[in-house]
Amino acid sequence: MFSSAPYTMHERLPSLDSNSDWSRLIQAYQAMALIRCFDKKAVNLQRTGQLGTYASCLGAEAITVGAGLSLENHDYFVPYYRDHATQYLRGVPLYQILQYWGGDERGNAFPAQTPAVRDLPNCVPIASQLTQAAGIATKAKLCHESAAVLATCGDGATSRGDFYESLNVAGVWQLPLVVMVNNNQWAISVPGRLQTASQSIAHKAEAAGIEGIRVDGNDLPAMLDVLDYALDKARHGKGATLVEAVSYRLSDHTTADDASRYRKASELHAAWQREPVARLRQALVDAGHWQADQEKQWQTHCQQEVDKAVQTYLQQPPQVPTDMLDYLYETLPESLQAQRTVLSEHAGGRHA
Amino acid sequence: MPYFTLPDLGEGLQEAEVVEWHVKEGDTVKVDDLLLSVETAKAIVDIPAPKEGKVATLFVQNGDLIHTGEPLLAFEGEEGSGSQTVVGNLQSKEDSGTDADNPDQFVVGAVAGSPAIQTTPAIRSLALHLGVALEQLHGSGPGGTITIEDVQQQASLKQSHGDSTPLKGVARSMAKAMAAAGQQVVPVSLFDQVSVRHWPEDTDITLRLIRAIVAGCHAEPAVNAWFDGERLSMRIVEKVDLGIAVDTPDGLFVPVLRDVANREPADLRDGLNHLRRDVEQRKIPAKELQGATLTLSNFGTLGGRFATPVVVPPQVAIVGAGKRFSQPGIKKGELFEDVQLPISLTFDHRALNGGQAARFLAAMLAELAR
Repeated sequence: MFSSAPYTMHERLPSLDSNSDWSRLIQAYQAMALIRCFDKKAVNLQRTGQLGTYASCLGAEAITVGAGLSLENHDYFVPYYRDHATQYLRGVPLYQILQYWGGDERGNAFPAQTPAVRDLPNCVPIASQLTQAAGIATKAKLCHESAAVLATCGDGATSRGDFYESLNVAGVWQLPLVVMVNNNQWAISVPGRLQTASQSIAHKAEAAGIEGIRVDGNDLPAMLDVLDYALDKARHGKGATLVEAVSYRLSDHTTADDASRYRKASELHAAWQREPVARLRQALVDAGHWQADQEKQWQTHCQQEVDKAVQTYLQQPPQVPTDMLDYLYETLPESLQAQRTVLSEHAGGRHA
Repeated sequence: MPYFTLPDLGEGLQEAEVVEWHVKEGDTVKVDDLLLSVETAKAIVDIPAPKEGKVATLFVQNGDLIHTGEPLLAFEGEEGSGSQTVVGNLQSKEDSGTDADNPDQFVVGAVAGSPAIQTTPAIRSLALHLGVALEQLHGSGPGGTITIEDVQQQASLKQSHGDSTPLKGVARSMAKAMAAAGQQVVPVSLFDQVSVRHWPEDTDITLRLIRAIVAGCHAEPAVNAWFDGERLSMRIVEKVDLGIAVDTPDGLFVPVLRDVANREPADLRDGLNHLRRDVEQRKIPAKELQGATLTLSNFGTLGGRFATPVVVPPQVAIVGAGKRFSQPGIKKGELFEDVQLPISLTFDHRALNGGQAARFLAAMLAELAR
């Protein structure tokens, strides 16, 4: 049904002819470079008390950018919490991503007129988003939408019941669902070998009767190839897919973690040799589609974009107490209306 | 001067140890340059510069323990200017004039630096409007929660009598230690006085007092002891480690002069001078303030004759020396001008009895009379 060796493209890139979609790869590289720049700044903001706990996407750039570029406007995206580039490519401004990680409810009010308005916000509880994604996929199928639902999770989430339940129902009901696991080898401090005895995570698709694909998560062209295929399949009513993107978490789990306490430096060093951003840049340079001066200009551009986002984020007026209700419910339950009235009477101050 | 304070680095962890500074005073840093590494209970964390500027002062050293909200360093800047915004500060609520000064005051996890205040966002908001510091209130609601009435009462008190000042640092520690001592100890005081007319002009009074205390301990070793009030057990200590009360503008310090029974006078004087200087410069290590077996309060250098100083557990006694005074004396039927040194001894009657205390005091006076 599938190979245990992850699907790759990079080795075959040089043989692609000049008519191939290099512009898409350049766009992908630019997004990957931008999100890496953003990621570094976000960690520094947390370290200086200007952002809350933050989950870095260092090492997941090909996965999160691949998802952003493969999704079509009418698809649905159901993220876990390392999908910053996908959110950005779906239309969430960088400053709003910072707002979310800064504990500001307004960060989840994705702009209307962008595909992001169809998406769910980050999901920090592990794997609970997968059942919600199966629900959205059920709705899309019942309404005969030609739309796919892409849900993401980490390798740790694959040990949860929600994961199996979602795959099972996706198989039985032929749902237009793609579950993508970012298998970055570490669930906080639990290594992959202690996570599952399964030969691979993609093998778990077998039990649900759906297709499972293992793909090199450091290989952006391969990511695009696999996600294009799986999402297209979903849109055409041909069933669900489990995608296991094999990567390596180059960062700590979050800013509240210190991976050096449980992970060998040599392992981390080896993983950096395969990291996705430099790998794609080298491929573009080798193929003559990216030059040194372009790189320099783009890095400057990224820094400016990130600095602008940080300024916008820091200059937002404080939240008002009623935000905690207003950004949580579409329609406020009656039982909370009295509380909201009290909150708004004393509004005007921040609520710590 | 703009301060940079320790942010909450790990989901509510309240303290960190400084592992290493990567900058020194006078260095110029850019945004995101590495400033220092700290270790929390969870992680070693590199902290970058939140802004560019010149480092004016480092407030903590390698190895120091620091709590969230406490200052790490100060950047050079205009005093009292609008740039007072404290980067990353989550604590200075009473200082911030308006919310707009601190757009980054969100808190993920526990509120930094202060024990959890239990109340609702609306009441916090009200307190902010009225300028009431919630941390100074006792909640009268269920489980100690702060109610609207608590806030309003405090606001009207503040309006008629102004702000109260929370004790800080040494004064705060003293208040707590004295309150604890007052609850536990059963104090009894003895007073007496001794003629010191024969003392030469240049007598080192503190050294004489120390010698007298040592003599007292020889006569009654139980006075130099630690008493455990919970287990009702007593440990007589052989070495006399004498706490010396030192008055400073910042408050009362009691550094410990070690093993006073076995040291030469010159050595003791040297040690005393060191302690006093370290205390005055606020450089005294915490361990030099701990472990006293007995305490001397030589308040007579400032004034006052007799006193009932407070015994601080686990110690069982404290000696107070008052200001010398003149009184008429009689010798062989002749009046003469005598000089008297008043001595007070307070002891904890749980640990000692009156006989022991009186023998100690008598031996002290005999030594002082020599």
